[in-house]
Amino acid sequence: MTEMFSTLFGQNETQVPPGSSSLGFGPGKPPPPLPQNQVAMPGQMPPQLGDEGPALRKPGAMNEPFYLLRELPVGNELTGNTNLITHYNLEHAYNKFCGKKVKEKLSNFLPELPGMIDCPGTQDGSSLRSLIDKPPVCGNSFSPLTGALLTGFRLHTGPLPEQYRLMHIQPPKKKSKHKHKHHRPQDPLPQETPSDSDPKKKKKKRDDDPDRKKKKKDKKKKKVIKSIYQDPSNSQLTIMYYCGS
Amino acid sequence: MAEKFDNLEEHLEKFIENIRQLGIIVSDFQPSSQAGLNQKLNFMISGLQDIEKCRQQLHEINVPLEVFEYIDQGRNPQLYTKECLERALARNEQVKGKIDTMTKFKSLLISELSKVFPEEMAKYKAIHGEDAPS
Repeated sequence: MTEMFSTLFGQNETQVPPGSSSLGFGPGKPPPPLPQNQVAMPGQMPPQLGDEGPALRKPGAMNEPFYLLRELPVGNELTGNTNLITHYNLEHAYNKFCGKKVKEKLSNFLPELPGMIDCPGTQDGSSLRSLIDKPPVCGNSFSPLTGALLTGFRLHTGPLPEQYRLMHIQPPKKKSKHKHKHHRPQDPLPQETPSDSDPKKKKKKRDDDPDRKKKKKDKKKKKVIKSIYQDPSNSQLTIMYYCGS
Repeated sequence: MAEKFDNLEEHLEKFIENIRQLGIIVSDFQPSSQAGLNQKLNFMISGLQDIEKCRQQLHEINVPLEVFEYIDQGRNPQLYTKECLERALARNEQVKGKIDTMTKFKSLLISELSKVFPEEMAKYKAIHGEDAPS
């Protein structure tokens, strides 16, 4: 062993404690320069069990004068440099959930589920967390109830007390009345199909009448003049408005 | 994969509907309803058996515990997915920013070091190449 060691590192190297040289990085000083004939062939030494010195020293010797130089990371490694949502084909999910507003309540996600499901589960002990923390004590299988067991489910006649009727209470659903009103004027159908029974149509016809318009205007004028005399605090504004129109 | 979920969903819907009907029977119980109640109770048990059978098909499905917290609070669990995606994208952008900054820093450092230590940097470039991967 010492013979092989000396052939590799020379006689002077044997004095160096093996532990410090085998690590490949010391207290900050670069390793002592190796003999010229040894630098070119460090790989010739057969690997020895328990002696990792040459294997670790190898890059240091090759990368002179950079004794702490390490291999750079491989370029094709998946990092945060790439858009990971695109990489994992999650654009559809991203657009679905982040593109539009997701409704806050659980009843919006499960609209068909009966009962008040928007209340916190901790209130009535129906939380899923409690199911995990304290799993119910029961057998492994479900067996149907026989005649004798069903006798335990004979109920009293009559309605349930108020506090147990939660099953029928549904969360209030928002009505979209305003939306309907908004869409009406855009709808071309009512204009194309005239009908005498439609009260809105009648109103429109009245508005179109020029005599009625004139009368209306006159009425308005009178009203404005009245307001000038009746309400002195607003007179200036009213006069301005009147003059402007 | 979707078939498994459809199967479970179908059984769950049937189970919930049965429970709803059971609730209606119980809410105003009449003596004549006893036979119907017994039938519904056994339907409930068979429903639980069906759901139990679905469990075997869904062994590899992992559900994050945070989703349960959302459900327990009466919140839409899709909000969890939304927040996860938003957080992932934000972190992705942060990391990309860091990588870009470090890349710029590296090229700047190499150019500055090349001015001060031209020989050493020439050796460095000989080892790692001119445009080493960052």
